[in-house]
Amino acid sequence: MSRLVFWRLARAGLAIWTLASVVFLLSHRDAGAAVQEALAEVSDVQTDRTATTSAERLAAQAAVRERLGLNMPLFYISQGSNQQEPTWQWNGLHNQYHQWATGLLHGDLGTSYRNGQPVASRLGAALSFTLPLTGTAAVLAILAALALAQRLAASPWWQRPVRTLLVTVHALPLFVVALVLLLAFANPDAFAWFPAYGLDQPADVGSGTWSQIATYLMHMALPVSALTITAIPELTLQLDAALTQELHADYATTARAKGLDEGAVIRHHALRNALLPTLTQIAELLPALVAGAVVVEVVFALPGMGRLLAEAAAARDYPVLVGGILLTGAARLLALLLADLFYFWADPRIRWQS
Amino acid sequence: MLQPNQAAIDANNLLHVCLLQPDIANRKYGPALATSLPAVELVGDSLSKLAYDIRPTAAWDNGRPVTARDVEFTLKLMFCPGLPNEVARNRYRFIRAVLTDLKAPQHFTLVCRGQALEYVEASGDFFILPEAAFDPRGQLRRFSLVDLQKRATTAPPDSALQSLAQRYQAAEAGHPGQVPGCGPYQLVKWEKDRYLTFRRKPQWWADRLQPVPIALQARPKQLDYVIIPDAATATLALRRGDIDVYPQIPAREFARLRASPAAAALNFYSTTSYDVVMAGFNTRRAHLNDALTRQALSRFFDAAGLLKATQLGDGQRTVGVISPIEKENYNDSLALIPFDPAGATALLRQAGWQRGPAPGTGWTRKSANGDLQQLRLAMRYRAEGSLFSTVALQFQAAAAGLDIPVTLQPTESGAFSSSLKAGDFDVYVGVRKGNPFMFNFTPVFHSLGIDAGNTTGFSSPASDQLIEAIAAADSKTHRSQLLRRFQALLQQEAPIVPLFFLPNRIVASRQLTNLHVGSLKPGFMATTIERVPKPSAAP
Repeated sequence: MSRLVFWRLARAGLAIWTLASVVFLLSHRDAGAAVQEALAEVSDVQTDRTATTSAERLAAQAAVRERLGLNMPLFYISQGSNQQEPTWQWNGLHNQYHQWATGLLHGDLGTSYRNGQPVASRLGAALSFTLPLTGTAAVLAILAALALAQRLAASPWWQRPVRTLLVTVHALPLFVVALVLLLAFANPDAFAWFPAYGLDQPADVGSGTWSQIATYLMHMALPVSALTITAIPELTLQLDAALTQELHADYATTARAKGLDEGAVIRHHALRNALLPTLTQIAELLPALVAGAVVVEVVFALPGMGRLLAEAAAARDYPVLVGGILLTGAARLLALLLADLFYFWADPRIRWQS
Repeated sequence: MLQPNQAAIDANNLLHVCLLQPDIANRKYGPALATSLPAVELVGDSLSKLAYDIRPTAAWDNGRPVTARDVEFTLKLMFCPGLPNEVARNRYRFIRAVLTDLKAPQHFTLVCRGQALEYVEASGDFFILPEAAFDPRGQLRRFSLVDLQKRATTAPPDSALQSLAQRYQAAEAGHPGQVPGCGPYQLVKWEKDRYLTFRRKPQWWADRLQPVPIALQARPKQLDYVIIPDAATATLALRRGDIDVYPQIPAREFARLRASPAAAALNFYSTTSYDVVMAGFNTRRAHLNDALTRQALSRFFDAAGLLKATQLGDGQRTVGVISPIEKENYNDSLALIPFDPAGATALLRQAGWQRGPAPGTGWTRKSANGDLQQLRLAMRYRAEGSLFSTVALQFQAAAAGLDIPVTLQPTESGAFSSSLKAGDFDVYVGVRKGNPFMFNFTPVFHSLGIDAGNTTGFSSPASDQLIEAIAAADSKTHRSQLLRRFQALLQQEAPIVPLFFLPNRIVASRQLTNLHVGSLKPGFMATTIERVPKPSAAP
């Protein structure tokens, strides 16, 4: 088992490294856009006080390239400029990829092009806001789906309307759900029960700890609800369908013949088998936990990974972007590994086959 | 020193003071840290000297006076290697030396390369930083400004410059509030992507001035800037009273709010900004390199309809890139370009285009070398928002009515800039930011700007001469005449089609008073705002 885990981890590590390298090389091929972003935008140039000469423009571009470390060759090898006969030249270790890879091995993800802050600290700060939001929503959605699916599988009278409602909510985009919650529960024309944005207000700073916790919970209520509401239908409908299928299996009939009530059949016999596809879904939530929820972060004006990465992509802040992709990619591959391990735990047939 | 956005400029205006600052009400620069506008002396035909005096009361937080040494240090810092100062380098390169006077530490003279009316404003619109805080041993004094400006990137590193750059970056990276300023506010809290809180200094040097100039007024004790990306959320926050002012509010939210019962508690302001929405033609393309074709295509834009559709009637149509609110410079003798597809047909025929006999065959003409040209266009615009896509769709529909196919190319913001620079478009739609102070069009319309800011690739000896004459004009009257001629020339040559100037929309709580709004960004002055005093309870 441990050997299997080791090999899976090694393969996942290699895949993450390859993913990050490809993203690094592809993004840094477009370094001109980052340089342009650091200087005035072409389409929005103001009428300026002095005309810069071509030499001054080139000098400014060269200075930006040097400051951002983009003046070095991109990779160990590069194609020569001879148009007639393409040639390859060796650049040695003095190249952007080597610098980045060496830094990464030492835990240095580089510095942001936009504000010069270390990428690791920016990602860490964003994660500290994102994880409580997405983590809470994921836990609540899983618990709600487990509870709801078990009751739905028992065929109560409200099974059909609830399934219809779940399918309807499943069809709604996240931004619609978020805006409906905002306009319903943070609106002076409806119910102004919750704050409209942020995690706290500047005026709250300096209040007591319990007051700050209460403020934080009030601010998190609507964003967490939006994420939870949109995650519940998929998990519930899948688990409900799997449970319904399992309850038609012979072992469930046998359990009922032994005199067990329907609830006990679901909890003690059908649930574990029905959970297998749901485990994959839960594992899929992990990268989403790390990547953040850009829609909810924008609607409720929350800081987090989603906004950080979206803004980094728009501003061509490649170090932040590559760091974010590295983190999200790692979370996805680890999620796949975790899903496999859960399968081993949940289904003895897989253990025996392997 | 990083490329600032408007929010950063607004925040810095609270922490720091420039020699001169624009007055949002009368759209003119006035003295801030300086006692008055600089006295200008022209030296020969290639140098200017601008003499400034710093207000005697101006002081840093530790009581030290702000001196000419601080101005000199700030300018040198803009050219210090190892700092993200590339934009500042190009912007202030025209200042070649700072002449200080040991006997009068608050008097100095800026020696500038060239002569231009704009130098009065341009020489004084940068924040002054304290030399003592960053360079207590005065190591930068051994370099002249020109030395630093001419310093090659390959020059061996200098330990003094390196340590100075490190000190500055450490202060900037830790907390921008750690960079000491002589402005009225201190940054007491900055929660990234959430809010910034500024608190007024209890003792600020400008309090001793009588009367306090509007640029130096600082009435609110605390200012909170909240970052709310979504317009619906920001509108809710305003209605709940969580925020007092909502600047740059989108047109639809503005109209919706004004029509709602909540309007009774709010004040609504709309002024014309200096940002012009315009289309540009790639004059390097063979089928767009003649003025008649461009004039014809200009008539496919329904500027009045677009203004109504996208800005709900606010904003202002224009004949050129000078705002109509600049009465002395705006050429009001020119007619607005009409939405006139029939007139466009006639102009296209004059340009040598022939419409095919069957629908769908489009327009063709033979070039001078006998090649057959087809009139079909690719229109590029930023994908975000609905403004540009509305303009593009309207143009496409109007052109389709005359059998001219237009391919729309909505493009991500960064890729859009790259495409414009590379000339990868036939027509583009965008916004050009302007101001009422600077009229040097060399980067955007001169032949020297081709392959850089001159995205349309248009230039002619006449336009180059006119642009140079505007930049070198020796009086405002003469410059106004030249600017009017320039607008006429641009309308005649039609490399661009200025459609309308965007409005600045602001909604504010009625509990506020003394809110000055204007056309300059950010559209209002935060530092003059006061709350309406609550009526005292009856005895």
